[in-house]
Amino acid sequence: MSEPLLEVQDLKVTFPERGRQVRAVDGVSYCVYPGQTLAVVGESGSGKTVSCRAVMGLLPLAAVVTGSASFAGTQLIGLTDDQMRAHRGADVAMVFQDPTRSLNPTMRIGSQIAEAVRAHQRVSKTQARERAVALLRLVRMPLPERRCTEYPHQLSGGMRQRVMIAIALACRPKLLIADEATTALDVTTQAQIMELLLELQAELGMALMLISHDLGLAASYADEVIVMYAGRIVEQAPAARLFSRVRMPYTQALLEAIPQLERPAHSPLPVIGGRPPDLSALPAGCSFAPRCRHAADDCRATEPPLAEHEPGHRWACWHPVNGEHHD
Amino acid sequence: MTESLLEVRNLVQEFHTNAGVVQAVSGVSFDVRPGETLGIVGETGSGKSTLARSVLQAPRPTSGEVIFRGTDLTTLRGTRLLQARRHLQMVFQDPFGSLDPKWTVRDLVEEPLVAYKTGRKNERRQRVDDLLELVGLDPASHGRRRPRELSGGQAQRVAIARAIALNPALIVCDEAVSSLDVLIQAQVLNLFERLRAELGLSYLFIAHDLALVKQVSDRVAVMYLGRLCEAGPGESVYREPLHPYTRALLDSVPSTDKHSAATKRAPTTISGEPPSPVHPPSGCRFRTRCPRAQEVCVAEQPPMRELATGHTVACHFPLVESAGPATSGPGSRAATGAQAAESAHAPRSVRTKKSREPRDEDPYPA
Amino acid sequence: MAASLPDLLVTAETARTRPPRARATAGWARTLRLWVPAGFLILLAAACFLWPQIYPVPKPVGGSVLNAGLPPLSPGHIFGTDPVGNDEFSRILYGGQVSFEVGFAVTAIGLLVGGLLGMTAGYWGGAVDAVISRVLDVLIAFPALVLALAIAEGLGPSEVHVIWALCVFSIPATGRIARSATLALREQTFMLAARLSGTRGPRILLRHVIPNVVPQLMTFSLLGFGVVIILEGALSYLGLGIPLPEASWGSMIAQGQQALTASPDLVLIPSAFLFATVMSLNLVGDALRERWGVR
Repeated sequence: MSEPLLEVQDLKVTFPERGRQVRAVDGVSYCVYPGQTLAVVGESGSGKTVSCRAVMGLLPLAAVVTGSASFAGTQLIGLTDDQMRAHRGADVAMVFQDPTRSLNPTMRIGSQIAEAVRAHQRVSKTQARERAVALLRLVRMPLPERRCTEYPHQLSGGMRQRVMIAIALACRPKLLIADEATTALDVTTQAQIMELLLELQAELGMALMLISHDLGLAASYADEVIVMYAGRIVEQAPAARLFSRVRMPYTQALLEAIPQLERPAHSPLPVIGGRPPDLSALPAGCSFAPRCRHAADDCRATEPPLAEHEPGHRWACWHPVNGEHHD
Repeated sequence: MTESLLEVRNLVQEFHTNAGVVQAVSGVSFDVRPGETLGIVGETGSGKSTLARSVLQAPRPTSGEVIFRGTDLTTLRGTRLLQARRHLQMVFQDPFGSLDPKWTVRDLVEEPLVAYKTGRKNERRQRVDDLLELVGLDPASHGRRRPRELSGGQAQRVAIARAIALNPALIVCDEAVSSLDVLIQAQVLNLFERLRAELGLSYLFIAHDLALVKQVSDRVAVMYLGRLCEAGPGESVYREPLHPYTRALLDSVPSTDKHSAATKRAPTTISGEPPSPVHPPSGCRFRTRCPRAQEVCVAEQPPMRELATGHTVACHFPLVESAGPATSGPGSRAATGAQAAESAHAPRSVRTKKSREPRDEDPYPA
Repeated sequence: MAASLPDLLVTAETARTRPPRARATAGWARTLRLWVPAGFLILLAAACFLWPQIYPVPKPVGGSVLNAGLPPLSPGHIFGTDPVGNDEFSRILYGGQVSFEVGFAVTAIGLLVGGLLGMTAGYWGGAVDAVISRVLDVLIAFPALVLALAIAEGLGPSEVHVIWALCVFSIPATGRIARSATLALREQTFMLAARLSGTRGPRILLRHVIPNVVPQLMTFSLLGFGVVIILEGALSYLGLGIPLPEASWGSMIAQGQQALTASPDLVLIPSAFLFATVMSLNLVGDALRERWGVR
């Protein structure tokens, strides 16, 4: 294996709120390799978005971030905003969920892309314009010259997201983080955008991180999948392995709870009760224990460590299931 | 044949916008039988939410009929409409948006009972407590809370309790679980199923997630840009989709299933962008993105015809080899199972970017 | 990347200037922010209305010229006397009564009449909205001071006439807020849900619209209260409001102007009270807005 592009070690993020400490991310470690597609999957409150924004330096000042996130040797945690700006775009870029809110409604598309280009490269306005057109072509936008003169509201959701991707790619980042980038899109548009991202990844040799609550997305498009719960990683494995041989009961519960086309109608969905724990008052032991069918005393007493129990497959569970996941 | 609980005929709903008249729903017809769940799948711009609200007369559709329990709701006004609509309720997408933030849970669930003057105060209170328990909430601890003190799943349960308060016959679920997390979504879906069994409810279940819709529905209809493309039993539509759009939807659904995971990264069978609802394409509205479109698709809107038992499709070239264009000759019978299966599972090669006639109205030429 | 991360970079930057979490959401600071100014207002109002009933104070009018121009902290006259010999302290109290009475009356009428009109217009729309909106527009077009002048000229200056004149301003102001708040509310899903539950118009207005619009109206009205007090002060200063020798903070300031170099306290003391009252009203309005989450 080559050197990791991004190496995150023991990342922790805490928010003080009303006198309590909310542990949004509680000791997360993973690596992203060049050219790899890594999916980070979890429900709301799992910490998946907060951990990536911590790496990008995009959290509010009140957040306390500890740990290490090393990008090609440079430590990203603790950089000032100016220092971080140098990395954003050039090394790591991010695409967000709602392109409507990330694009300036009063600026033409071409100008916004050109602005992103000129944020990192000393080029003339004309050159930046040309680059903008080239980028739109790169993201398979039909009629790129015309698009450059249009405003965001004249484009559909899928096209706006392509513009966001073009902006993100303006300076050829080595890592692209897609934070629920397709959640707000129709499923057909989502498929097109995902296809585009994979093609771009191959063309540009980029690593791709997909943050999503959609396990299906992870299964279909990722090489490696990380599952997060209550701020911690609970399972990690290559996609094919994870979905065919799931170990962690939480992952299994997630898989079973998703409606599948293959299941007959009206079949009851196996569910687990309860809700994710309060991040300011995490229970001792495994955070999933209160809801787990297989929980035993040792689960409630001690937190299971995340360890590589099988080659390439890490999980944090004292009593993993032998999950041959079948429908 | 049992009489339909809800019969919708040629429903049209228009809006006047700055860009012109938009027909969000352009002639939709379907029916829901007692005790059954009809699912409607559609993406953004399909008009499915507008359809849901039009059925409930909020606002009244521009034209068409909505016959609920034998009465056409479009002809009713005022009190008579209220009385007729008593057995037709709705659950919305945003659990918090559909609950008045200033009201308590008890008051919210009691509201329909008060509005229809059902029983005396203590009877109503008792009924509210029963309803809360029925949806899995504890009346003592949740009754006095306000919506902002609830989680998403709990808030949606309150909305459901309110919807079943008057013993409705049919509940319209407009993306009712789409904003919930996976595990909570599963809980609420199970609740829907349980209520269906215990109370004999029928549902009109509207969502953009095909797997979700199929999971809860007996029959499924697919909607695109204001019109229905295909309708039929859920299994039928899934295993033997007849409309290219249905095929594209099925292909686009990312799945954790082993089979589809192995074929991940296969090219999609749809291209281009959804056209603007203000200027929909002539003839078949899907033709601008359809790999099978021909000239007749530009000229004529395909009628809905039945190609298999209970399975209808509106397409000139449905995904069944033996069926020709809808206008030539009488509608043909469905192909045999094997042929249909073959055409249904050989999607990857159908994708073409080649030889398509230039479309004058296509804003996004490939 | 600036174009693609506007909202997050903005968050980071505003976080730098005022980190949201670090701001005292802590209970006691929040409580103080509401109750210190509110307490002051309550005490002041109580003093103005109740003190004269409990402790005898010299009358605010009809003082003896022999006592004219005494400085503050003179025996028997804690705030001194005015050029005519009236006790300043009692004039402050009685002037305060006027301010609170006028402020309260105008605000309350504005809330009731304007609020109802605005909510009705917003909820029913159509012709009802058109008519009410035109009425409100006409009212708001009147400049308050000119109208007060006309009323004062025509009917003679008095407290009641001041109230009428200022209502012409507060009714449409509140009405507009109520109307736009109701319009925004109408789009909410829970309004549709209420209609589908079978609740009818008037009851929806009463149980759904009013409770949701009132917080906005209340905070607006509290700020308006302060404005009204100042306007009354201005009118009285111009001689269009409470006629002398009755006490009003505004007329006291006007009167005190003439003796500014000799006895600046005649201007400063009523000004200080005016300032403190309006400031407290604003602070209470802000604190309530924070609590009720009104934008």
